[in-house]
Amino acid sequence: MMKKSLAVMLSGVLVLSAGFMTGCGSSSSAAPEASAESEAPAAPEASAAPEASAAPEASAPAETSAATGEVPAAAQESYAKLLAAEESLMTTDNHPMMAEGLSFDIPAVDGDSAYCEENYEENEAAHWHYKEYIDWDTANDATFPESPADGQIGKKVICIVHGAHAWTTCYTDAFKAACDAVGMEVEVFDPNWDQSTQDGYIDQAINERPDAIALIPLSADHATQQFKKITDAGIPAFCSNTTPEADAMNYIIAYTGPNDWYQMRKLADMLGEKLGGKGGVAYITHNVGGSPYYARCYGPLTELAEKYPDIQTLDIQSPGFEAADVKQVVSDWITKYGDQLNAIVLADDSDQAIGASEACKAAGRTDIVIVAAGISQQGLDLVKSGDLFGLSYQTCQGDAGLCVRTISEWFCGIDINRVNYLSTDVCTADNVADFEPCQW
Amino acid sequence: MSEVKKNENTTAPKVDTRKMEINKFSLLFNKMGIWIIVIALMILGMIVSKGQFFTSSNIQSILEAVALTGMVCSGLFYVTYSGNMTDMSVPITMAFGGVMAIQCINFGFIGAILAGVLTGVVIGLINGFMIGKMRANAIIWTLALNLLLSGVIRVVWQGKMLYAEKIADEAHQNSANLFYSISRTYIGGIISLMAIVMLVMFVISWLILTQTGFGQKLKIIGTNYEVARFSGIDCTKQIITAYVINGVCSSIAGIFYAALRKCASYENGTGYDFDALTAILLGGVALTGGKGSMVGTFGGVLAYGLLNNCLSWIGLGTYTKYLVQGIVFLFIVWMNTYSNRKLGKA
Repeated sequence: MMKKSLAVMLSGVLVLSAGFMTGCGSSSSAAPEASAESEAPAAPEASAAPEASAAPEASAPAETSAATGEVPAAAQESYAKLLAAEESLMTTDNHPMMAEGLSFDIPAVDGDSAYCEENYEENEAAHWHYKEYIDWDTANDATFPESPADGQIGKKVICIVHGAHAWTTCYTDAFKAACDAVGMEVEVFDPNWDQSTQDGYIDQAINERPDAIALIPLSADHATQQFKKITDAGIPAFCSNTTPEADAMNYIIAYTGPNDWYQMRKLADMLGEKLGGKGGVAYITHNVGGSPYYARCYGPLTELAEKYPDIQTLDIQSPGFEAADVKQVVSDWITKYGDQLNAIVLADDSDQAIGASEACKAAGRTDIVIVAAGISQQGLDLVKSGDLFGLSYQTCQGDAGLCVRTISEWFCGIDINRVNYLSTDVCTADNVADFEPCQW
Repeated sequence: MSEVKKNENTTAPKVDTRKMEINKFSLLFNKMGIWIIVIALMILGMIVSKGQFFTSSNIQSILEAVALTGMVCSGLFYVTYSGNMTDMSVPITMAFGGVMAIQCINFGFIGAILAGVLTGVVIGLINGFMIGKMRANAIIWTLALNLLLSGVIRVVWQGKMLYAEKIADEAHQNSANLFYSISRTYIGGIISLMAIVMLVMFVISWLILTQTGFGQKLKIIGTNYEVARFSGIDCTKQIITAYVINGVCSSIAGIFYAALRKCASYENGTGYDFDALTAILLGGVALTGGKGSMVGTFGGVLAYGLLNNCLSWIGLGTYTKYLVQGIVFLFIVWMNTYSNRKLGKA
């Protein structure tokens, strides 16, 4: 009996000591990192959405304006609250959390997805057209629920994320903060990276009959079924963060999230210039099959192939996100390719970047130029120390903010764009201070 | 056969027919075990790398790649050896070790390391007590503890990353930097501290296994728990000790992992339980316990790294690598089983 008590006590010691070390009691309440800088200003008159902020440079398709249209009288109070939230809510790194989304023109291609993949090489942008652009056939759009056009105040949204991660914690905190600021109620479901659990949560969410459902799909391929189910139930569905397959857009009111392809192309342009248009590049990818896998590998690869034909692709590997595994792959590359290896493109700026930079340092190859996607603390530190040449700014809190903004605009009866991208900044040593302190 | 004829009245031959099928390869594989594979992989490496395999950078790369797995193996070996198969709470022990080390960075560098290791000791004690004394199912208990502690970390630290430099006050920023540096230090500019720590941990584990009564007792417990108990061995004490050693080794790996990642979170260490168990089984340790050696386990760890390295030299894609790794590992485990059976050891 005494020994049983001892076991229970030991477990308790662990929990209590952890709580004591962190001052759990005082800080365990949900405290979103994003902060309201000031009191909400007086509601401006209802008008069309503000103009787009940052204009993307480089090889970009033309940027178009985002949401437009008159706000109905019933939604004016809500819209004023939304504009006030847009003014006041800032991300941890002091960027507007609910900034207007960007959209891009889609270039024409001469065939469907199968045609493009069959007739174009992997190093040609057209090969990946239907993965890069959410280029769906609007003729197949489902019958979407109509906007009540009475504003978002008092509405309930269920947000289904993909899984537990520090990024997700940051995202959900920001989502809650943004909903709170615009007067919406929110419930968050976390399936912990399990597809069937996410499907179950979708059923549960539908049964709760919320006013809208925002979903970060775990799988681009499976997203069509998930969004179809939500839309068929008469609930407006919004897709956040992860790009679904194009057909899924037939069942989605709007997509909001980063333009991974565009940002990685920007990084590739910087890289090509840095390399002087020649050299060897190797790629460490994201998890194979997901939208970041294609965007963060074939985005820069096709860009370099088009603009810098003398830059050669040496290898593409997918060792995952363990720093030690990435370090081994890069060390092996350095030994194998020697001076031929001039640059590395990474799908992740935290563990992958640490592994790659440590391998380069250990081999005395600090001349290798490394670029990565993301905006983690580790990534920023590596940019500051010069180990990373550049990384794409993918604002986590802004991602949540844009989703809430788009949902709110829809509730206000404004014509929203079906695809809304986040700003497309790139972080380098010159502007790293603009992205601190890190969001997660 | 003549012996069988002499015993016509018996219902079964007295000769172990399996021993009659002994061939030289079975004997060699049973004696050398995984080291045959290690040597074969080295030869393969020399061929595919065109002579660059034994360069210091390549050796360093291989050792570094397996350092964390090796650290875990040096402790997990005892759990498997004691007949408790594996410890599913290895990932959370690594994570909690790293989290507590970073959380305690304001107690100085040594204080942080001690806090991390102490966490491993406490988790080992809990596991050891529940499995050794209460006879809880080793897999289910450690899996449940893994979930429980994962929840504890998520609740207490709200699922966020912990950065040493953010937790450290002004006076302890150097401790934070020193903490991060442990996974980036190269002794003599050649071999990493992580690899050296792994080698030292293997040597200590080998000494404990071969030079102490604990090792002998654990072998008997692993072979037959009831026999060990009736022989007067304090099974509870030995199993608790095995889990405490395992906890310490996992937490040390977790500390190095957190230092390498420059942050700690509940997800640190994910997958290391299976990686380490694979390396241990490759080294010829029986999952049922009582059989295996620390030298073999080290060979298993090396084979793990060497195979990866060779496949990189060959230039295989990631998924083809997984395929080849799976085939090679299956072959090694089959060879272990086959040679044991041929020698009448299984």
